[in-house]
Amino acid sequence: MAEDPVWSNIFKKHRVVQENIFSVLKRLPIFQDLGYKELKAVERILHRRTYRADEIIFKEHEPGVGMYIIESGKVNITLGKENKLLVLLSNGDFFGEMALILEGQRTASAIATEPTKLLGFFQPDLFNLLETSPKTGNKILTRLAQMIAERLRLGTIENRQLKTKLNQVKSELDTLKKAKK
Amino acid sequence: MESSIGKTFKYIAVIALIVVVVWLLVLLKFIIALLLVAAVIAYILDPIASFMVARGITRLQSTILIFLIIGTIFGTLLYLLVPSLMVELNFLQEGIGGTQASELLTKLEHTIYETIPVLSGQELNLYDKLQGSLQNLAESFFSIIVDLVSVFSTMIIIPFAVFFILKDGHKMKKNLVGIIPNKYFEMFLNLLHKVDLQLGGYLRGQFLDSLIIGLLAIIALWILGVKYFVLIGIFAGLANMIPYVGPLAGMIIAASVVILNNGSGHEIASVLGAFAIIQLIDNILVQPLVLARSVNLHPLIIIFAIITGGEFFGIIGMLVAIPFTGILKVLSIEIYNSIKRFNMI
Repeated sequence: MAEDPVWSNIFKKHRVVQENIFSVLKRLPIFQDLGYKELKAVERILHRRTYRADEIIFKEHEPGVGMYIIESGKVNITLGKENKLLVLLSNGDFFGEMALILEGQRTASAIATEPTKLLGFFQPDLFNLLETSPKTGNKILTRLAQMIAERLRLGTIENRQLKTKLNQVKSELDTLKKAKK
Repeated sequence: MESSIGKTFKYIAVIALIVVVVWLLVLLKFIIALLLVAAVIAYILDPIASFMVARGITRLQSTILIFLIIGTIFGTLLYLLVPSLMVELNFLQEGIGGTQASELLTKLEHTIYETIPVLSGQELNLYDKLQGSLQNLAESFFSIIVDLVSVFSTMIIIPFAVFFILKDGHKMKKNLVGIIPNKYFEMFLNLLHKVDLQLGGYLRGQFLDSLIIGLLAIIALWILGVKYFVLIGIFAGLANMIPYVGPLAGMIIAASVVILNNGSGHEIASVLGAFAIIQLIDNILVQPLVLARSVNLHPLIIIFAIITGGEFFGIIGMLVAIPFTGILKVLSIEIYNSIKRFNMI
C-alpha cells in the first residue's frame, strides 16, 4: 500500500535520525546535564565529518582544537611511529576532549579503522557558546572539568602505585648489588 | 605517453579555469565589492543577532528586529539631516555661481590692476575663467549624479545582501567548513576562529570609532553654527580611520569653510578647539575602549591602499580600503601562523 501523505508519518525517517543524534549526545558525560533545547543548540554547532577506512583523523604532535564523538564506525587511538594501539573506540565513544580546554599538541593519533561518522566539537564553538548562552556553556564546562579531574585522579593513583613499585624495584636492585659485593 | 598527454591536458585545463575565474572576477568586480561590503556590515552586526538568538528568538526574527532598529535610526537621521543637507548643497551651488561672486571677482581684478600696474594692459577676465571652470564642474557634477544612480542601486542591493548574510551567515560558514577535506579541516576551523577574533575587534572598533567621531563632529559644528556641518561631520568620521592625516583633514575643511564665510578669528579658534577636544576624547576615551585589538597598518600602506581602492572601485573603494587592508593583513598573518603550526611548510 502506498503511503498516505496526509495520515502516515512521512517525517518519521527524519525524526528518527535526529533522535539518534540526541540519544548519542545525551549518553555522553559532557552533555549529561543539558536539556532538549540546549542539546539542540549544541547539535547546531557540531561538525559532522565522514572518514574512509584507514583515514587519519588527527596525528600525534599536531595542534588540536577539539573533541570527536563517534556516531558510527570504529577508531583506533595509537601511539608513536610504530602505531602502538592504545585503545579501540566505537559508537558513542569520544576522544580528544582535553584539546577543548587546553590548546596543545595531540598526545596520540586517531585513525578510522572502518568507514566512520564523527561529530566534531571544537574549542572556538565552545567559546562562542560560552559567550552567547553562558548557562549551557557552563554546564558543559563543569562536566568537562569533572571528567578531566577524574582522569587526573586516576592518573595520580596510578602514578603513586608506579612510584612505589619503582622504589621497590630500586631497593631490590640495591640489595642485589650489595649482595654481589 | 598517454599519461603525460593527459597530465598536460590537465594542467592546461586548470590554467584555463584559473584564467576564466580571474576574468569573471574582474568583470564582476563591482558586484563582488558590493557583496564584500555587505558581508562586512553583516559581520559587524552579527554579535547583536547572536545576542538576541541566545535570548530565545529565532535568527530570522533577530535579523528583522535589527533591520527595524537600524531603519528607524537611519530614517530619523535622514529626516533630521536631509533638509539641512539640501540647504547645504544649495548654498554650495549659489555660493559659487551667484552675483556675490562676480562682484567679489571684479573687486579682486581692480586690486590686482592697482597693485601690479604691469598687468593693466592685459584682460584678466577672472569671471569668465571662473564660469568656464564652473561649466567643467557642472559636467563633473553630472558624472557624480550618474554615480549617484549606482549609489542608489547600491543602497538597495547592500541592505538586501546584508539581510541574508546576517540571517544565514552561520549556515554558510558551517557549509564552507563542511566541504574542507578532513586533513585540513581542524586547521581551517582554528584559522577561522583566530581571524574572527582579530577581525571582529578591528572592524567593530573602526566602525564604532568612526560613528562616534562623526556624530561628535556633527554636533559640535552644529552648535558652533558652521555651514555644511553634516557633510563635514560625515567626512570627519570616515577620514578618522586614516591615521595622522585623517583627523587633521576634517579640522582643516571645517576651518576653511569658516574662513571662506568671513568667519571671525574667534569662530575659527572655536572650530579648531572643538576638533582638538574631539580628538582628545577619541584618543583618551573612545579608542582605548573600542579599538582594543587594533591592526597596525603602516601609513605608507594606508596611502597605497586608498589609492588602489579608488583606482578600482571609485569612491566606495576609497572608503572601504582601510578596513579591507586590515582584513588582508590579519588573514595573511593567521594563515601563515596556522600553516607553520601544522607543519605544512
